[in-house]
Amino acid sequence: MKKKANTLLETPFQTAGPFVHIGCTPNLIGINNVFKSDFGLRPFKNVPKNKLINISGTVFDGSGVPVYDVMIETWQCNSEGIYIKGEGFGRVIPDFESGEFIFNTVKPGFTKNENGKPQSPHILFWIVARGINQPLVTRMYFDENETKNDYLFKKIKDKERQKTLLAKKIDENNYLFNINLQGEEETVFFDF
Amino acid sequence: MKRISVLKKSSKNQPERFYPDYQSSILRSPKLDLIDFIPTNTEMTGPLFNHDIIGKLDSDLTINFSKDGSKAIGQEIFVHGYVKDQYGTPQKNVMIEIWQANAGGKYRHPNDKSNVKLDENFSGCGRFITSSDGYYLFKTIQPGAYPFPNHGIKWRPMHIHFSLFGSSFAQRLITQMYFEGDPLISLCSMVNAIPNKKSRNYLIAKLDLSKSESEKILGYKFDIVLRGKDQTFFENRLEGL
Repeated sequence: MKKKANTLLETPFQTAGPFVHIGCTPNLIGINNVFKSDFGLRPFKNVPKNKLINISGTVFDGSGVPVYDVMIETWQCNSEGIYIKGEGFGRVIPDFESGEFIFNTVKPGFTKNENGKPQSPHILFWIVARGINQPLVTRMYFDENETKNDYLFKKIKDKERQKTLLAKKIDENNYLFNINLQGEEETVFFDF
Repeated sequence: MKRISVLKKSSKNQPERFYPDYQSSILRSPKLDLIDFIPTNTEMTGPLFNHDIIGKLDSDLTINFSKDGSKAIGQEIFVHGYVKDQYGTPQKNVMIEIWQANAGGKYRHPNDKSNVKLDENFSGCGRFITSSDGYYLFKTIQPGAYPFPNHGIKWRPMHIHFSLFGSSFAQRLITQMYFEGDPLISLCSMVNAIPNKKSRNYLIAKLDLSKSESEKILGYKFDIVLRGKDQTFFENRLEGL
């Protein structure tokens, strides 16, 4: 989309800083009597627990140290490939000691873009932390699904780098998805 | 059918991801190029929030953590403004979340290890959903400036963190608001990571005496511009719609 001359500038991003949890997940850090509840603790409230998958992982910086202060937002369609109001949004923070995050959600289905282009099952990850000046956006895909026709996968020319977006299947219900902000296995990040 | 997209971000209006003056960005910014694409249905949708999830005191930080009605310590302020997009269109139903340090510059967070005292009546968090004309209003206290490790010790200007959900992830914004006249702003590496001075000025709330109340509460005006929503029309209908 071309920028038009008579438009306003957008308000710029600033880092979320290390204390983003106060505003976004206060109940998870012991601020319990202000908001009724935090958003995104359960992306699909109406789906029974035995129908959910677990996704765990760690965000690493360029020296291999976990990003302990990260907050991740996830966004996805349901298992039928449909984006629904009130479902599909998650907020995840890691354990402040280990840096590991874990959340439960449904496995998303195949979906199509507005112009009919196919998209393989994926979850959008929106990542903020101290030192991240603009949110970093990536996607998690599933190893067991074909991705060769996926609209975004096809834009990644380097096959090795495509692998950074694939969650590792541990067993039927458990997936591992680590994110590397830098380094040899730097995760593919997107801009749009 | 209608296809909704957004105006492209301009890199000179956004902070550089790798900005060595801000030490924390050195190891936390990608080295390789980001992959550019036109947003898909994933990015052009997002969570939508109903007004009924907001509690009465959610936007009044002077009392929303108080146990016995005692107010938070500090100069009381109103922070208000309009949320619009780049075309100037008011953005209604935008979820705004804010968080900030107390008057002494201390956050209510397990990882804030400074020796400054917590204020037992202050949480530092608030939220509001914009009205049909894009308006929002918070009552809070003036946050303190504080030192932080950055190539030695540097000072953060007084600031309030803002998080906004527009109508889709493509409009998602996380930023910080500064206060007009604070001499620490021009020294701040997080602010100076933005190349364009005009964009930096977008982050500075203006003193607004018209919003001040009974000589007790100071007003600050902070308007926010989300990415412009474009609508183009496609002739082909989507399968299944």
